[in-house]
Amino acid sequence: VKRIIEVSLGILTAIGGFVDIGDLVANTAVGARFHLALAWVVVLGVGGIVVYAEMCGRVAAISGRAVFDLVRERLGPRVGLANLAASFFINFLTLTAEVAGVAIALSLVSSVTYVLLIPFTGFLVWVVIWRLPFEWMERAFGLLGLALVVALVTVVRIGPDWNALLAQALHPHVPSEETPFTYAYYGIALFGAAMTPYEVFFFSSGAVEENWTEQDLAVERANVYVGFPLGGLLSLSLMTGAALVLAPSQIQVDQLSQVALPTALVVGKLGLAVLLVGIFAATFGAALETALSAGYTVAQFLGWQWGKFVRPEEAPRFHLVVVLSLAGGVLFALSGVDPVKVTEYSIVLSAAALPLTYFPILVIANDPDYMGEKVNGRLLNLVATAYLVVLVAVALATIPLMIITKAGA
Amino acid sequence: MPPPQHDAGRVLYAGLHLLDRQLVDRDGRYAGKVDDLELCPGEDGNTLFVSAVLAGPGALARRLGARRLGAWLERALTHLGDPPANDLRILFNRISDVGDHVTLAANHDEMATFAAGRWVRDHIIHHIPGSRVRPPGPEERG
Repeated sequence: VKRIIEVSLGILTAIGGFVDIGDLVANTAVGARFHLALAWVVVLGVGGIVVYAEMCGRVAAISGRAVFDLVRERLGPRVGLANLAASFFINFLTLTAEVAGVAIALSLVSSVTYVLLIPFTGFLVWVVIWRLPFEWMERAFGLLGLALVVALVTVVRIGPDWNALLAQALHPHVPSEETPFTYAYYGIALFGAAMTPYEVFFFSSGAVEENWTEQDLAVERANVYVGFPLGGLLSLSLMTGAALVLAPSQIQVDQLSQVALPTALVVGKLGLAVLLVGIFAATFGAALETALSAGYTVAQFLGWQWGKFVRPEEAPRFHLVVVLSLAGGVLFALSGVDPVKVTEYSIVLSAAALPLTYFPILVIANDPDYMGEKVNGRLLNLVATAYLVVLVAVALATIPLMIITKAGA
Repeated sequence: MPPPQHDAGRVLYAGLHLLDRQLVDRDGRYAGKVDDLELCPGEDGNTLFVSAVLAGPGALARRLGARRLGAWLERALTHLGDPPANDLRILFNRISDVGDHVTLAANHDEMATFAAGRWVRDHIIHHIPGSRVRPPGPEERG
């Protein structure tokens, strides 16, 4: 029974923890502009994160090594350093967006302008990182994130023509008022949101934090194979809600609060309250993950002690990087940048940086020196390699598309 | 863990098995990376032996070709706090095992590679309440 509770708790945490500000913004914005014509990208992206998260979780459980440790070993110091610089920068943008997202969620219930809440949010994130044990931290915000299920309730409440929706998703075409370029650009944004690199930094480091071993692999697989796709379902619900409610009124998403609009209109005040709890948990959880990831990547590249599994005084440089990154994110958010724009840039640039992170994972997952008998199977390698090809194509297309579409304007 | 290896004649592909590997101290704590290697010629004059592991951002910068930056980083490090008990060269006889990581027969706190960490710990982290609190969970882990 204890096992069943553990597995279901892990799955629930994975569902609630799957969505972050990138998913919230990208899915709502895309739903409002493209209806369900890009829904297939969410499915593709979720498939990709499932395949690679499982691999890096397994690598961490068997070898005790987290992703950025391996990045340096496999790519060498020079390319590794370039990857570190790119990943750290993108992660910093994501961190900024998440902190702003938390502040916006708080401002919607407190009627205080969100800018004033940013320093408070940053401090709160730091206190949780400093004091809350890793497992509690992950559980609490993952489970609270389940409140986003209200997005699914919203879609069911609307009572849409399911067959028409399915037909739309299965026979995607570029809407007449959009160009193939904007279609591709937003597709990349969705893909980047689903496969954001910090997710594997955090997932693999978390496996080391929780001291996973071979015995935990079954739980790990359940989390990833069941939890992530159900988390993706929440993403699709947000997209569908936006397609059904925002698109007919020609509403363009340029504020985080618009994510809540379909639920507020369809389910009412209570629904809105629940959704806001979900948005708060999703962004707060991701703020914790990105702040920690800043420390994880730098410390793992340079070989410093890292993690919450030791006393803070034992990992001083790790904690310093975390707190400085958070402070930087707070200052950047305070400077008046548009949180939605920062989010969009972070997920699109994530897409451009994906191969550098995912390639070393695939290599190590096949190395018997690290993995013993737990190397990848043939089918998994086939799928993972196919994804790697997609990742490279996406990475090459990202910057040109960004220029052609003027960042999706 | 396999028994410590002290045989001086073990053949390793230094570039593959040593460079950029994680250094782990005898208590299982991370203690830096193998940022560079010091080689010295053997008696026959043809073979090179690894005499020491070089660790720290200074060694890494120098390996990547930034000599000035490397020297500056190393000097900056020696100015941080107490004179280090040993320098940034980790002699090969202090290495107890080479596997997918490199295990040291020392504690990371004794190492010069922890100089910056020690400084950050003593001057910043120790001033924050709770810095000495042990997290819950399994006691010692390696």
